[in-house]
Amino acid sequence: MNIQILGNPAFAFAKVDLAPGEYIVTESGAMATMDASIDLDSKLNGGFLTGLARKFFGGESLFINHFSNKTTTQRTLTVTQPTPGSMVLHDLGNTTLCLQPTAFIACEPNVKLNTRFAGLVSFISGEGLFKITVNGPGKVLFGAFGGIIEKEVRGELIIDTGHLVAYEPQLKLKIQLSGGIISSITSGEGLVTRMEGDGKVWIQTRNLQGFASWINRFF
Amino acid sequence: MQIEFQYKPGNAIAKVKLAAGETITAEGGAMVAMSPNMDIETTTRQRKGDSLFSSVTRLLASESFFFNHFTARDREAEIFLGTSLPGDMTTLAMTGKKIYVQGGSYVASSQDVRFETVWRGAKNLISGESLFWIELSGQGSAIINAFGVIYSIDVDGDYIVDSGHIVAYEEGLEYNITKAGASWVSSFLGGEGFVCKFSGRGKVWCQSHSSSSFGKSLSPRLRAIKTS
Repeated sequence: MNIQILGNPAFAFAKVDLAPGEYIVTESGAMATMDASIDLDSKLNGGFLTGLARKFFGGESLFINHFSNKTTTQRTLTVTQPTPGSMVLHDLGNTTLCLQPTAFIACEPNVKLNTRFAGLVSFISGEGLFKITVNGPGKVLFGAFGGIIEKEVRGELIIDTGHLVAYEPQLKLKIQLSGGIISSITSGEGLVTRMEGDGKVWIQTRNLQGFASWINRFF
Repeated sequence: MQIEFQYKPGNAIAKVKLAAGETITAEGGAMVAMSPNMDIETTTRQRKGDSLFSSVTRLLASESFFFNHFTARDREAEIFLGTSLPGDMTTLAMTGKKIYVQGGSYVASSQDVRFETVWRGAKNLISGESLFWIELSGQGSAIINAFGVIYSIDVDGDYIVDSGHIVAYEEGLEYNITKAGASWVSSFLGGEGFVCKFSGRGKVWCQSHSSSSFGKSLSPRLRAIKTS
């Protein structure tokens, strides 16, 4: 399987070449164009009841798709995301990565996809009630609204809410006020996410909620 | 006429150089900046003889009612043409084959390119594509725009394009509204729903992103308009 990201950083999408017999796992609705001979199977993303809970409380899709090449020659499909922005293709090796609910786009078949409860504080702060964890071996493709900054955390890092895309699992997340109560409200920063530990984090340069709030001013 | 693009693919703009006497026709509102020696004529039709009806049908194709014809008066002139959405632009080289452009994606065309609004069938109601498309014919070049990156695929046989991702396609291709893969159930449960299946031989231009998918992810965060 060959995955190539095109259109970074403004309008990233990925071209996936499938050799005969190969398949790729994608987020629901991610396919944009494909050879007509590629087959699609939709699978329940985890159990039915937890799937439903994730759909209604986490805003995630109930199903994930398997696109498979059952022909004898190479076939191509392109996958995309709803928002304009960047994509990252990350080789997991044997590690795990945590993704924010809307970040996941696709992964190789060996990658295990799980949904975990992210906690009520995460939900209240707008980071979602669930998070997705992906386990290697294999590559995962994730995306964001805006560009993606890859940053190494040493000890501690503060990120504004709505900007987190992905992080390594050894990092602990805490939601807190950006300063005192008054300055948190007046500075426009409000709640922030504090990452503690050592590991990598991926941050998006734009925030969909921020963009929507800007549009809302005109109505 | 020389067409050059800048700021592709995120915020593309077309810089068009016209020799003295040359004309480019652009949809209303596309001009961003231009040389002072440019004559502008605004019409509701592309050329003499077109009926008012063709202007009305253009509105149905989400294009503007008015065309602006820009002509370099006495010497070379340049004009920048842009669009309202962020995204890519590209040139279509017209060599006699008709090209169908999705409503809203047409930006401009050279003098000898003929422009008509055509009904492409009620099937488009199902997939959310335009009911009316723009049919370009003749010789010359046309400029189109899209939400996201424009990429072309040379189809020979069958090819699937998800609804919301078609920008334009050549004569020789036809599409049907169908399912992705072998099963209707998977296509719907998997969020792909109805897709367009092209068959025949020719080029199809696709956009990497769909403005309606972006709208869907944005709209839950938008405030409803207050009614007093």
